Amino acid sequence: MNARAREIELLLLTALSGVPLYFNGAIGAAPLAVFHLALAGMIYRIAHGGTAEIVPEGVLRVIALVYVPLYILDAIANHAIAASTHLVLFIAVYQPIESIRRNNRAQRVLTAALIFVASVATSTDITIVLFVIVFGFMMFRQLILLSHIETAASIGHEYDDAPSNRTAAFYLVGSTVLAAVLFPIIPRTRNPLVQGVSGALTNATTGLSTTIDFSQQRASVPDPSVVSRVWMGPDALPFFTPLRLRANVYDRYMGHVWLQSSRGYRDLAARDGIFEIARPVGFKRSARVQQRFVRNGRIYLPTGTFAINGLVSVMEGPSPDTFTTATAGRESATFDIAMAREVMPLRNERVRILDYPVTPAVAALAHQIVGNATDTEAQSRRIESYMTTHFRYYMQPVQRARPLTIEEFLLKDRRGHCEYFAAGMVALMTALGKPAHVVGGFYGGKLNPLTGYFAMRLEDAHAWVEVWTGDRWLTFDPTPAAMRPGNVREGLLRTYLSALNDSVNFFWDRYVLTYGLGDQVAFAMEVLMRLRNALGRSHASLSMFRQKFTFIDATNVVAVLAALAALVLFIRRRRRPLFDDLSGHLRFLGIEVGPAMTMEEALRILHDRRPEAARDLAPLIADYEDEMFSPRHVHGRVAAIRRALAGVRSKLET
Amino acid sequence: MTTQAWQFDGVVRFTRVGTSFLVFTFVIGFAALNTGNNPLYIALTFMLGCLLLSGIASKGGLKHLAIELRGAEEAWAGRPVSLVLRITNRSAIWNVRDVAIVSDDLAQPVLVPIIGKRETIDVEASFLFQRRGIAHVKRIDLYTRYPFGFFLKKRRVRLEGDVVVFPRLLDEEAARERFRPIAGEQENANRPGVGTEIHSFREYVRGDSLRQIYWKKSASLGRWIMKQTELDSARAVHVVFDPYKPREASDEAFEELVSETATYLFHAARRGLTILFTMPRVTIVTSESESASAAFHALALVEPLHEPVAQGADENSVVFALQRETGRGDERARA
Repeated sequence: MNARAREIELLLLTALSGVPLYFNGAIGAAPLAVFHLALAGMIYRIAHGGTAEIVPEGVLRVIALVYVPLYILDAIANHAIAASTHLVLFIAVYQPIESIRRNNRAQRVLTAALIFVASVATSTDITIVLFVIVFGFMMFRQLILLSHIETAASIGHEYDDAPSNRTAAFYLVGSTVLAAVLFPIIPRTRNPLVQGVSGALTNATTGLSTTIDFSQQRASVPDPSVVSRVWMGPDALPFFTPLRLRANVYDRYMGHVWLQSSRGYRDLAARDGIFEIARPVGFKRSARVQQRFVRNGRIYLPTGTFAINGLVSVMEGPSPDTFTTATAGRESATFDIAMAREVMPLRNERVRILDYPVTPAVAALAHQIVGNATDTEAQSRRIESYMTTHFRYYMQPVQRARPLTIEEFLLKDRRGHCEYFAAGMVALMTALGKPAHVVGGFYGGKLNPLTGYFAMRLEDAHAWVEVWTGDRWLTFDPTPAAMRPGNVREGLLRTYLSALNDSVNFFWDRYVLTYGLGDQVAFAMEVLMRLRNALGRSHASLSMFRQKFTFIDATNVVAVLAALAALVLFIRRRRRPLFDDLSGHLRFLGIEVGPAMTMEEALRILHDRRPEAARDLAPLIADYEDEMFSPRHVHGRVAAIRRALAGVRSKLET
Repeated sequence: MTTQAWQFDGVVRFTRVGTSFLVFTFVIGFAALNTGNNPLYIALTFMLGCLLLSGIASKGGLKHLAIELRGAEEAWAGRPVSLVLRITNRSAIWNVRDVAIVSDDLAQPVLVPIIGKRETIDVEASFLFQRRGIAHVKRIDLYTRYPFGFFLKKRRVRLEGDVVVFPRLLDEEAARERFRPIAGEQENANRPGVGTEIHSFREYVRGDSLRQIYWKKSASLGRWIMKQTELDSARAVHVVFDPYKPREASDEAFEELVSETATYLFHAARRGLTILFTMPRVTIVTSESESASAAFHALALVEPLHEPVAQGADENSVVFALQRETGRGDERARA
């Protein structure tokens, strides 16, 4: 591998280190493009036999001097991460030019590593793993090459070979395994003195808007980003699916716009770490929720939730019946919930009828639908049933000069998306004088068979209705069931791949991105518990063994062990090289046979010191040499030599 | 051998790259603690993994190396001799790379680029022994900075290797100047040796060649009589080495005397002369066909005597002894 190829490979490594920065948006694309253009220029020049000096070194020094105060200003203006990244990129461009004068290969590899760490630190997507693998491989090649070159140079040699790809791959796998072992056990205790910054790691938004404005065109973009994962036991599945995660409550109407009333935040008190948010009615079940915070600390709870466990704080707000927690810089949270078939408010609520301007035609329609039903629940069911059968679902209502009003939807068009259905039902309930409101949230989700959870995605955003029955809110969904989110049929392979992809992402989110001190404590507790159980089991087994084990058994065991030991000893003696036996005998005679000494040489020394002993040993050594180094092997000769050696030894000892 | 700048006492040392990497790891660790950012923890653990693996690999690699010294058992003081180091990598896991072999006795460090797992290789190494005698090559230092160059690891390997180091030969010029043509080129030496003229007769002793039996005299006397031929003076030299070191003579002077003797013998042997070399309790005869190494061997091991010892020599003998007055070597001193 010549110097030119080495230089190009190192420049490519440097270029690769900055690529993830394009995707995570930690710094702007312009400085990155300049960085990569500069490196591309260097690669081009070197490939054509030139040097990396695309700009004279002196000019770069001047730029560096000008840059320093700008860097300080940039850093002071709360852009420390971006400013530092710019600075390191600049250094990475400067170093190849500097390398013409002095050997700075090692620093260049470390600079590339620094840029790459900055890239990784600001990335949350699992695809960064691919970059880590490629970068790690190339970095190991460079480090191994560096080691070869420096070792050879230290004793005045030159190194020309390329480092082995297999070796680099071996060390990459080794380092990854060690990293995987270390990752869960390195303590996640935050520095109490200098708290660092945790930048926003996602720009995701929910598919839900803060208001429902029918004067605006509603665009729903399919977005598979997972908002929440919900685990439910088989005992809960039949009663709480399809899942509905409540997010927003639109309980005000103002000029074609449905709004959420704001009452501010009210802290809820925890009892034994459990926040009660409602009173349960009927049977209860539990579930676990892992939720990504996509709008501040808003938590999306399944319908029927009456208690939350596992969050540090829970506040009711900003609108009634919606809940928020303190994110503390986290991107997601995992908590347990308790659900009941129905829930009632903790306190008596003053529920008012929505101020929707009901026209006589709408009121007439409402009365026509409910007929003679007087009970709120029955009325609601009739309206829900009527709408699901007499109305049609369209994502995009018919294009018209002005937006479709709820009245037009109910009386004329009779087609629209879920928000029209929900708002239409609320309008009809209002016409009947019954309190109701639109609820925005996520519906359905997909059960991941590999991990056993329901994954709710941004594209599962949906709207439905809650009607006040006098003591509780009941849920109704007038949107035809077939048109609700999650009803798209997929092929088996696609379903499987989707589940697999989601499982991998879940693993990444749960055990990498959000792995924290709590997980470590839980992990340690689990290990301790398993150890304790194992010890307990072994102790019990031992006690049982002691009770059943008799003296005769013990004697038999000892006899068998002794026989086994004798057998092992016998086999070892048989398999022991004859050289060892002879050298042992020579050691007994005071001759130390070194690893580089032959038996003949040892015999000569013995002959000088103890001729009579040498005379006895000489025929044995001659036989040994013949047996070992001639192509002719005599059956039983080794055993005969051993026997003769034993005889010589006993003669000497007597 | 001059000590290399990177040699050190102890077992391990951080290199410059390693130190920078360690500082870098600390910085990343601090950032990870401060931010609680798990991607930074990934980077941190990966870097710690690199450091650990680097240490394990370099230590594991050197740990499993066994070295044997092979090849020539003789060498000349002050002259490089090529010996073979048989290196065995007993590891079933690690290929060991970039091993620098360093020893006080090596003329220069030896670089071994790679020794595969469970592989044995022979490496030629140039040794340089400074003093005559038996050189015990007891240890050799192995250095490696493989795989990532973070650490320079060292392992001292014990060796069992003895080399007989012949005396230092004086340089060519000095030897030419000191080496004298043998006097009496056409005369016999009047000593028994390899020649054609009969010098004397003696009784047969076991081991004598039957060719040397003097049949005529044997028949008349009724027992085997052997004829002894006379050494040819023209092709022979009798060198006498006197190891007596007067009190006033220095060790250096004695060593120089040994070197002068060895140089004399070396050039005599190179000229194909028959050499009769004597020193107390040692008489060695070498002819053209035989190597003079027995004489060099004797000189390699000779120790100075503090009492004079009488040795037989005639007027043609070349005697190497220290002058009693000056303590300086004299190759022409007579017994």
